[in-house]
Amino acid sequence: MTSTTGAALTLDKVTKRFGGVVAVNDVSFSVAPGSIHGLIGPNGAGKSTLVSLISGYQRADGGTIRLDDVAITGVSPLRIALRGLARTFQAATPLQGMTVRENVEVGLHTTYTAGLARTLLRGPGVRREDRECRAATVELLARYGLTESADRLAADLPFGQLRFLEIARAIAREPRILLLDEPAAGLDQTETSALADLLRHVNGEGTTVLVIDHDVPFMFSLCHDVTVVNFGSVIASGVAAEVARDPVVRDAYLGSGSAGEETE
Amino acid sequence: MIRRTIGIRDASVLGAALVAVIATLLTGSAYWTYALTLIAIYAIAAVGLNVMLGLAGQVSFAQTTFMGIGGYGAARLTATLGWDPWWGLVLPAFGAVAVAVLIGLPLFRLRGHYFAMATFALALGTNSLAVGAVLLTGGSTGIAGVPPLAIAGLSLGTPQGFLIVSWIVLALALAVFFVLSRSHIGRAWRALATSPDVAVSLGVPVLRLKLLALIVAAVMGSVAGSLYAQFSSFVAPDFINLVMIINLFLIVFIGGRGMLSGPVLGAAFVALIPQALSFLGEWQNVVFFVLLLLFMLFLPRGALGFDLSWLRPRPRDSSHPVPERTEAAR
Repeated sequence: MTSTTGAALTLDKVTKRFGGVVAVNDVSFSVAPGSIHGLIGPNGAGKSTLVSLISGYQRADGGTIRLDDVAITGVSPLRIALRGLARTFQAATPLQGMTVRENVEVGLHTTYTAGLARTLLRGPGVRREDRECRAATVELLARYGLTESADRLAADLPFGQLRFLEIARAIAREPRILLLDEPAAGLDQTETSALADLLRHVNGEGTTVLVIDHDVPFMFSLCHDVTVVNFGSVIASGVAAEVARDPVVRDAYLGSGSAGEETE
Repeated sequence: MIRRTIGIRDASVLGAALVAVIATLLTGSAYWTYALTLIAIYAIAAVGLNVMLGLAGQVSFAQTTFMGIGGYGAARLTATLGWDPWWGLVLPAFGAVAVAVLIGLPLFRLRGHYFAMATFALALGTNSLAVGAVLLTGGSTGIAGVPPLAIAGLSLGTPQGFLIVSWIVLALALAVFFVLSRSHIGRAWRALATSPDVAVSLGVPVLRLKLLALIVAAVMGSVAGSLYAQFSSFVAPDFINLVMIINLFLIVFIGGRGMLSGPVLGAAFVALIPQALSFLGEWQNVVFFVLLLLFMLFLPRGALGFDLSWLRPRPRDSSHPVPERTEAAR
């Protein structure tokens, strides 16, 4: 254990190579607890690799990743998930053959304590856990506008609703930090602003949010802090409004005069 | 959502089976008593495979290994050591669970098809062991004189008694399948069957759940093996040979993977159809396998997995290609 920073998530000189290609190069930034932090950068900038590294699906070649000041580099994705990190995936990931409701219920799996024997005997404890799971699911489906579609197959949902389902499913177990891989990809304007409202709500409930995306206006209107990466390296990091004014960022990535007026 | 009720298809199959058992008990038909007992024993082992294959999505050939543990365990404990036949039914199941944990812990860490490959090797190895380990298994002649089950000293050695016991055990196995498939464990199994990465991201302990499925399958396989030994009063290696493995997979696929009553229907098919075709003489097997081919072609999801949804108007197109990114959020 190293010195405590109080950050929800810290990356310290994280590096990942694929063969000769350096996908993530010496990346350092930290996410303040309770914030919405944006990780922004063009396609191929190494954003998705960072998501995989943070959530443990890939292993960093160098550097340290800390979740609540505990090093999680090399820890399995399951352990990291159980330590309170939830993530979504860039591709659509409905659980095949399962309804919308069942998808959310799987997201509540960790709220169960019953093992095989207790589940088979279906005592009062298991029945109570089932009731709580059902109630929590009803609430989540309502908040995410999925009540009407509850008993449809998740794979049959329109794309926008599927995105919301994936977030509802990830947030169901009330993780401490939510990692979103391009949540706005494929959404129209109305859906994108609904998504932003939802993420603000999730954040308001106490979950730290780390969003990875390349939609500049969406990110600068949503995030408190922004880290900009390009070619696998951090080129700017800080409060959203300041990063938006950073000449390096404007020259390298944002283009002239695009983002300043988008921030609050 | 946890549905308490069972579907109309499952209810039909199980209702028909119950009628068949009662009718057989009333008429005392020797052929049907034998056939229905065999169907129940096959189905018990196949329900175990259905937990692995139909719920947790794991291709496992280990089922005959567990049957072997049950069969030979029962034979040695009762025929050789003279223990009560009920111990022969129960104790080997603990051995099967131990073996399930021993093979599951290392093998489930393998990705892709390696688990299936490794269990296939295990199944072939078990059969070879049954032939070769003469002191343990009696070699190719097997172990004879396995006594039947008895309740309060009253032997269930009559074919009717055994028919009832085997169907009670099958009912228990189906109840376990029913409760688990509708529990949080069953949901997690179905989730990891198609998307292990998503399941893990939701905190579902994939390795532990796979192990749980294998343990349930092991108990059912072992119990089926013990019953088989007690039913036929002897065990020999050919009850756990390649044909049995193929039969178990046929049973699960024919009935419909993941369907509650699928193994019952599949076991009836596998036990009865070859007999019914015996008048064809040499052509019996050819016609049987042609029937199977037709089955796989036209009912790929099994007899109970047939799709009636085309009868109802589809609410909307289910294809949803990722649309192009729209510009700007405001």
